[in-house]
Amino acid sequence: MSRKTVLAASLGIVLAYCVVALLAPVIAPYDPHAITGAPLSPPDREHPLGTNDLAQDIFSRLIWGTRATLLLGFLGATIAVVLGTAVGIISGYYGGTVDEAVMRVIDVAMTIPIFPLLLILTMFFRPGIYVTAVLMGLLGSFQGVRVIRSQVLSLAVADFVTGTRALGARDGYIMGRHILPNILPLAGVKFVFSAQHFMLIGIGLGFLGIGDPSVVDWGQMINRASQNGAIILGLWWWLIPPGLAVTLISLALAWLGYACEDEINPRLRLLRV
Amino acid sequence: MKGVYIIKRLLTSLAAFCISVTIMFILLRLMPGDYITMYLETIYRYAPPDVVEAFNHVYGFDRPILEQYLLYLIDAFQGNWGYSLIYKVPVLAVIGEKLVWTMVILVPATALAILAGIGIGAYSGWKRGSRTDITLLNGMIFIRAIPSYWLALMILIIFGYYLNLFPLGGYVDTSALTTGIDPFDVANHAVLPILTLFLFSVTGTYYLMRNSMLMTAGEDYITTARAKGLDELTILRKHAIKNAMLPMVTMITLECAGMITGSIFVETIFSWPGLGMLTYKALVFRDLPLLQGILLIDTLLIIVANIAADLIYPLIDPRVQVGEDV
Amino acid sequence: MVMNKTLLEVRGLMVGFPTPDGLVRASDTVDLEIYSRETLGLIGETGSGKTVLGMAILRLLQPNTIIKGEIRYRGRDLLSLPEDEMRKIRGREIGVVLQNSGTSLNPVYTVGDQIAEAVTLHQGLKGTEAWHRAVELLDAVRIADPARMAGEYPHQFSGGMRERALIAMALACNPSFLIADEPTKGLDAVTKREVIDLFGEVNRDRSVLFITHDIEAARNLATRVAVMYAGEIVELGGTGEVLSDPAHPYTQGLLASLPERGMRPIPGSAPSLITPPPGCRFSPRCGCAGEGCRTEHPGLVEVRPGHYARCMLYDRG
Repeated sequence: MSRKTVLAASLGIVLAYCVVALLAPVIAPYDPHAITGAPLSPPDREHPLGTNDLAQDIFSRLIWGTRATLLLGFLGATIAVVLGTAVGIISGYYGGTVDEAVMRVIDVAMTIPIFPLLLILTMFFRPGIYVTAVLMGLLGSFQGVRVIRSQVLSLAVADFVTGTRALGARDGYIMGRHILPNILPLAGVKFVFSAQHFMLIGIGLGFLGIGDPSVVDWGQMINRASQNGAIILGLWWWLIPPGLAVTLISLALAWLGYACEDEINPRLRLLRV
Repeated sequence: MKGVYIIKRLLTSLAAFCISVTIMFILLRLMPGDYITMYLETIYRYAPPDVVEAFNHVYGFDRPILEQYLLYLIDAFQGNWGYSLIYKVPVLAVIGEKLVWTMVILVPATALAILAGIGIGAYSGWKRGSRTDITLLNGMIFIRAIPSYWLALMILIIFGYYLNLFPLGGYVDTSALTTGIDPFDVANHAVLPILTLFLFSVTGTYYLMRNSMLMTAGEDYITTARAKGLDELTILRKHAIKNAMLPMVTMITLECAGMITGSIFVETIFSWPGLGMLTYKALVFRDLPLLQGILLIDTLLIIVANIAADLIYPLIDPRVQVGEDV
Repeated sequence: MVMNKTLLEVRGLMVGFPTPDGLVRASDTVDLEIYSRETLGLIGETGSGKTVLGMAILRLLQPNTIIKGEIRYRGRDLLSLPEDEMRKIRGREIGVVLQNSGTSLNPVYTVGDQIAEAVTLHQGLKGTEAWHRAVELLDAVRIADPARMAGEYPHQFSGGMRERALIAMALACNPSFLIADEPTKGLDAVTKREVIDLFGEVNRDRSVLFITHDIEAARNLATRVAVMYAGEIVELGGTGEVLSDPAHPYTQGLLASLPERGMRPIPGSAPSLITPPPGCRFSPRCGCAGEGCRTEHPGLVEVRPGHYARCMLYDRG
């Protein structure tokens, strides 16, 4: 399986999810919150994946749930990567006291357990899905700073940078025009993996019951399913599809990330060339 | 320089701890209603205002906020982390008890994951590109992409429900009520959680070790070893692994610390009464004091892990002294 | 004149590295002989193929390297030996001092351990016996306080000391043939002198392939020299003769570029080894290149007794 195939396939899956999310109102047969017949009924022609305990159509909920998943992942990743890259570039470029200060802050921030903090804050404030995504992005940006910064450190002393400075270019110009493009591949890979990570965590929050109840969320679906005895009662149509849906997008993003990483760092050569 | 390092570490750890405490302090203050009312209501179902006021006075809730904060901080350092709303006992006591149970599944799983990850990852990286390597790598990537809660669920369903090999949850059978806790029974219940935790963390260790080995395999001293006439297995075992493990130390210690929080999903699904399950309960019942305790314990664990990494690293790499930036 | 036995014979050696851009021919049909008890200097610029030649003898190159030809050591073709036979030769019959002493020693083991490893492997010495031998060897390479230094780590050794340690390790089992790859690289003038002296002394009774770009070192240690360019041997002969009266324009250029001879560099740069220049590979940079040089590939011909050169000036026909 060549790298190009993997790249294409994973990209295809991600795009498919995006399409489904965008066209949810069109594709889904029912409104995801609406009551449509008998609760806990197995799949039939009217309800391809049956109904849940509130008699809502599971298939529709599955489709609508794509939105929450993608939102959590991509919004969170955007915030994390933009913030992490910006801070990393500034810190690495200026060096000296700025760098020292930033690194101290990062050191302290990384000593605080991020996941429990996220849990507590989410439980306490019960934010909507957008705020949750932003929060995840903020908390998740610390880790990226270190990686970006070390890359920037080696770039900042590169000859072409010194040369540009000798021409009289301003710092902002150098950072934006010369350093950033060299960082983009690294940031891009980070974005893909972060998106995967935040999707899983976001859905996980729903699974723990502290997600946004007004939004259809695969994690909450799994949660409700197991709480209603789906395992014992054999309600596989309720329990399995949301989990599969998460796993599939997670896999696709992972493959995408590794394929991109291969492009950047040929030494790793993860996928068979 | 040892002195500088110690101070730096101490300050960072202190700052992290204080920030955790401060965040919880702010949250507690932000809660609608107040702590005392909340607490009293869980015991007595009704909190008359004058009783509340008396308690407030005794516990110092009517003092200026800065004073409260300082007292709170001091309490935190002394281990006085308040009382759990669910269990009505000091937070630290509950955490201590549950932590032990988490260790029962966490320690074996993590130990196995580290050993397996290092061994398999080293071999995979050494034989880079071979059939074994590619298969292992793809397998690991696959497992790692599965969300931990889904993995746990699937394992429970397949091994516990359909194959009926292991119990569906809990840590003992109901027979324990009469015959007491049987270690074999506990072990039986622990298998699936340990398996799940193992699968989840071995992927991380594998990947890191493999990468590290890829770098190490190309080093000049490996060629030297070959030039001496050593066979491949000896070179891998003696020369390559030790060097490849160096970057792993920091990662491993941090993973150990992170596993505590990661176990929340596994424990919840398997109904294993450890720290993860406790966290879940605390979230559901909004037991802030308990949650604070968990946050602080986790912070402490990360601090300990960092220090451990700093101390272990010089033991393995003779080039590094304690406190040097790696 | 004593008839020296041929210890190592290289015939038609071709070493190629497959790359996305094509096959890099680091070594192209090289023929060479090394006699017993002689030191052959292999001189050339970086990228001329000299290190590759040395590594190929012990089959220490990357697994996907293409190697063709024969390398006969005491009559046996090393290139066709099974791996476990090859291992018996490495370190025991043929020793090698690798380039770059800074990275050629394992940083997490003591120097003594690494030297002892060699004797344990080939000579069956165990534990303290092997350690004593390691200390002896460190002493033989003139490292002060060898007993203590054996317990130190490579990063605690200076550059010159590391070089000596590598020599000690290569000679641990007293091999008949030593390959030394740039042992004087990166050393200051004084240390260089010391290493050269030591080298000459410990290798009196064995054959040495001395790979270097340091012409002065070659002059001091080698009885014969071979000059490599673009993967080929372009001149071969007795050291004194080649270095004082070179036949090949490249060698002349090399000598002219030395600081003490005027430091005139050779114009141009080293050619591509994927698509080498047609005809004589040096012709693009040669001051006296003629039409024939660019179309015909010269063979290695005897210019004077025992002195060979690969140049159209001498190859008539």
